Amino acid sequence: MVEASVTLWQKHMLKFIRNPEEPLGMLLQPILWVVLFGVGMRALVGGVAPNVGDYLTFMLPGIITLTALGGAVTSGASLLDERLRGIIKEYLVAPIPRLSILSGNALSTVTKALLQALLILILGWLMGARLNSNILSVLAGLLALGVYTVGFAGIALSVAARVRSNLGYHGLIFLLNLPLLFASNALYPLATLPRWMQFLAWINPTTYVIDSMRLLIYNGSNTFSLGLSAAILVIFAALGMWLAYSSFKNVVST
Amino acid sequence: MYAIEIQNLMKSFSSDVLAIDHLNLTIPEDRIYALLGPNGAGKTTTLSILTTLLLPTSGAAQVMGFDVVRQAAQVRENIGVTFQEIVLDPDLTGREVLDIHGRLYKMPTRQRQERIIEMVKLVELDEAIDRLVKTYSGGMKRRLELVRGLMTHPKVLFLDEPTQGLDPHNRAKIWDYIHELRRQTGLTIMLTTHYMEEAEALADGVGIIDHGKLVADSTPQALVTQLGADVVHIVGHGSPQPFLQALQQLPYIQEIHQSDDEGIHLQVGVDNGNRRLPEIIHLASRNGSQNGSQDEFMIDEISVARPSLGDVFLKLTGRALRDR
Ligand SMILES: Nc1ncnc2c1ncn2[C@@H]1O[C@H](COP(=O)(O)OP(=O)(O)OP(=O)(O)O)[C@@H](O)[C@H]1O
Ligand SMILES: [Mg+2]
Repeated sequence: MVEASVTLWQKHMLKFIRNPEEPLGMLLQPILWVVLFGVGMRALVGGVAPNVGDYLTFMLPGIITLTALGGAVTSGASLLDERLRGIIKEYLVAPIPRLSILSGNALSTVTKALLQALLILILGWLMGARLNSNILSVLAGLLALGVYTVGFAGIALSVAARVRSNLGYHGLIFLLNLPLLFASNALYPLATLPRWMQFLAWINPTTYVIDSMRLLIYNGSNTFSLGLSAAILVIFAALGMWLAYSSFKNVVST
Repeated sequence: MYAIEIQNLMKSFSSDVLAIDHLNLTIPEDRIYALLGPNGAGKTTTLSILTTLLLPTSGAAQVMGFDVVRQAAQVRENIGVTFQEIVLDPDLTGREVLDIHGRLYKMPTRQRQERIIEMVKLVELDEAIDRLVKTYSGGMKRRLELVRGLMTHPKVLFLDEPTQGLDPHNRAKIWDYIHELRRQTGLTIMLTTHYMEEAEALADGVGIIDHGKLVADSTPQALVTQLGADVVHIVGHGSPQPFLQALQQLPYIQEIHQSDDEGIHLQVGVDNGNRRLPEIIHLASRNGSQNGSQDEFMIDEISVARPSLGDVFLKLTGRALRDR
């Protein structure tokens, strides 16, 4: 199981490094977010919501999460591509657990998400967002991101295992992706939201990963206890992978 | 022991169509077996069940004694597979494809490296092996897939139309490699094909499948000799009835088959084609021009050939077997 996952993870990373467009896009996207969106919003919001402190620092965890979501979408698309082209059959007739095909893919998603997160932290730091001086705490924040990414990668893989075309995949994912971001605390403090949106944010795991990253990485204030966030994120990751596995199992052996 | 056993296998994708219909088959070890049939006959479906990609609707099958449903993991350890369509990751090099494949089967590093060298030599990919697969020609991709299937020393190798889409030169190459493997002991090959020459050139055993049913299971030689030593092909137009009746009176006629798809096509099995040809032509002219109307049968073309599996297919199913 572990061996096969690692082999497939290495394959994904090999392809990733080899193809110049994907790493380039992965570098540029966060730069655009931080530099253009972040700076603009900082100027706009700075006076309006003084209780959040520096707005760029406030929204960096949201940008990190958004980029991780984007990475998971790409990895789901690569599973879909392998499925539609039949490449997946090579793995299905090999003596490896079905789950390792999914976990190899999810592992590569997490790797890419962490690389991007590091890049964003550095960019943010250059622009004045002060990191927590406790490096272990920063690492714990990244761990929370990794766990969250596994969960969303699971959802993307589950969609990729079921849909019949690329178009269907991106349509469905778009529907899932946007509310995850906007119905959360990513861009605005929870307290400023109307009640119904607060409710949506409470049931959205994105809220918990961002809340813990604010605390762990930027030493900000948290709304939920770390224990609660950790529990929710772990459950989210497990549910995501379970969903992916059950969709995948059904599709491949009818 | 049999390498492959199939008992009463059925597969349906929807309630009304049976892709595989009561299939029974045994293939002994160390043989090359060819499953021959037209488009949609059920060849790929059969291989998919044997390679654990599909679950049967009913019936059972074993590969190297392991049940394909209950012991799928053991089956997978014992087989190598190439699929009908080319399934290679275009962004990897040939060597990476083989290496990753070996790792999935837990081959140690040293063994993988040695096996890759051996495999590359077998299919003559030395120069291309470190290039990206997307730069390969169709023939090179097929060769790479063939050795990917062989890479992990399978007991049974499944090849779904291994020469589909290849030019005659590349096809002959693949045949050579399979002949080369023939000498290797402990390897059973099951392949599917549309080409009768392919089955004749490669296989010890041939099954003919049509609409999911096995309509023949024998050796290539036994199948073709059923038809007679030679087959006379006649293409003509007009009404063949009087001519056919006259033919049936002759003692040396073994089989007559008629199909009407492009003019009238007659397939006549005889004991000795070269000797009987003049007699048949004579008979046709006697039975053609009597009435002098549209009733008459005129021969447009006539030829003698050794019977092929295509002739056998026509005899068994009433339809011509066409190459795509
Ligand atoms: N996934 C599927 N869903 C529905 N029907 C299917 C599916 N796969 C195969 N079939 C049907 O089952 C029958 C057998 O198909 P199969 O692919 O086994 O034929 P084949 O002999 O391999 O043909 P070809 O020479 O074209 O490859 C066909 O009628 C086909 O339409
Ligand atoms: Mg087929």
